[in-house]
Amino acid sequence: MKAVVWMTLIVGLVSVQAVLLPYATVWGVMPDIGLIVVCLVGLFEGELAGLLLGFALGWVMSLFSAADLATCMITKGAVGYVAGLAGRHVVYLAPAVLLLGMLAASCVSGLLTAALLNLSNQQDWWWAVRTVVVPQAVIDAMVGGALYWLVWSRLNIQRWVSEYRT
Amino acid sequence: MRMVNFRLPYNTGRIALVLAAVFLLGVLLLPSQLQGLFQQIGSPVGWVLSWPLRAVSGVQEGTAELWDGFIMLRGVAEENQKLRRELEYLKGQNDQLRESAAATERLTALLEFKKQANLSMVAAQVIGRDTGNWYRTILLNKGQSDGFKPDMGVVTPAGVVGRIVKTTAATSVVLLVTDPNNAIAGLIQRTRDEGIVEGTTQAQARLKYIPLLSNARPGDQVVTSGLVGGFPRGLAIGTITKIDKDEGALFQSAELTPDVDVGRVEEVLVIQSPNVPSEGERLDAPKVKSKS
Repeated sequence: MKAVVWMTLIVGLVSVQAVLLPYATVWGVMPDIGLIVVCLVGLFEGELAGLLLGFALGWVMSLFSAADLATCMITKGAVGYVAGLAGRHVVYLAPAVLLLGMLAASCVSGLLTAALLNLSNQQDWWWAVRTVVVPQAVIDAMVGGALYWLVWSRLNIQRWVSEYRT
Repeated sequence: MRMVNFRLPYNTGRIALVLAAVFLLGVLLLPSQLQGLFQQIGSPVGWVLSWPLRAVSGVQEGTAELWDGFIMLRGVAEENQKLRRELEYLKGQNDQLRESAAATERLTALLEFKKQANLSMVAAQVIGRDTGNWYRTILLNKGQSDGFKPDMGVVTPAGVVGRIVKTTAATSVVLLVTDPNNAIAGLIQRTRDEGIVEGTTQAQARLKYIPLLSNARPGDQVVTSGLVGGFPRGLAIGTITKIDKDEGALFQSAELTPDVDVGRVEEVLVIQSPNVPSEGERLDAPKVKSKS
């Protein structure tokens, strides 16, 4: 059952990312919904769940992108794992901390991606930071905050999961 | 209600670390093999995932059609007027083009272009775009099972769209002509000067390595040269808008506006047999014509 839920989540996220989000760009950049979910899952479900979901999402998303497999898997897996480690030490998650954490995670992931991808000479570090890394980090933080507020606070998904397990 | 702590036990962190270390080691020691393995495993996964992608794409298209059909009718009358004027202009141009077409037909026979026109093309639909922000790509609803392979050229009747860089069983990723990582062999139609067409970070294209003595000018049409890259000779790429000639540089370069609006493309044709001459054929000495 758990595997089906994770697979449904991956299929849904990839479909939304490849088909719908290209129409919802801000400053020519769309949010990385996969990265946001990996970050939140790592934070609330632990580092192993974050790492494995990051690897799986990175792999599947690389099938529908020109980006290479290793870069996608490493960046998303690393974000999930680090979010899991951070979640171990967090007792109360203030909205500002979540937004700043998501901003930092997206920035680090973006810089790591820029370093790992074999981009053309035109796409230097300054271009990457100015046009992709920073705008995407801002959008990811805002979307991540909204998603957390909706799923964890309003829908109270953690209570549903614990009730289902008992 | 009993709250359950569903955090994983601490030793699972070690498993995670070992997994990550094994994966990183694999990537460092066997990068291409690991990539190939995951690509092979990914092919059936891509086929399975192509169905929800098509479903979501269908819903999105339906919604867009509804929007266009009922809500966006406000500007139709004005647009109709504009289109009528454009039609009159195009009728005039059509007569001129008929003359040119007849001339081109004769020249085509003379230059043995028949062989190159005999292309095998397969139509495909655009179902999505790149899952990241780093590349400009489109996603097609056909893949390996339809005979698509990396490096195949992708066009529309208006001109070149890009080339396939990745395939699964039922989908293909096409790197657009406007992506800075793309390079296509191009030719200025009027001057016959060759160069390399690359995308730019501003979603346009640039023709590089034009000889200094070339008299290329804004308005010149750039087409594929057919030397390499999965395209036959003569497919439209774009129109020159500006020539850049730096002092002391060995070559000129030119800014291009692509003929295809790659942001709005919905259906494309994939060239399966471009009849591109092999390296040996290109380097062969020209054959002596027999005297008749």
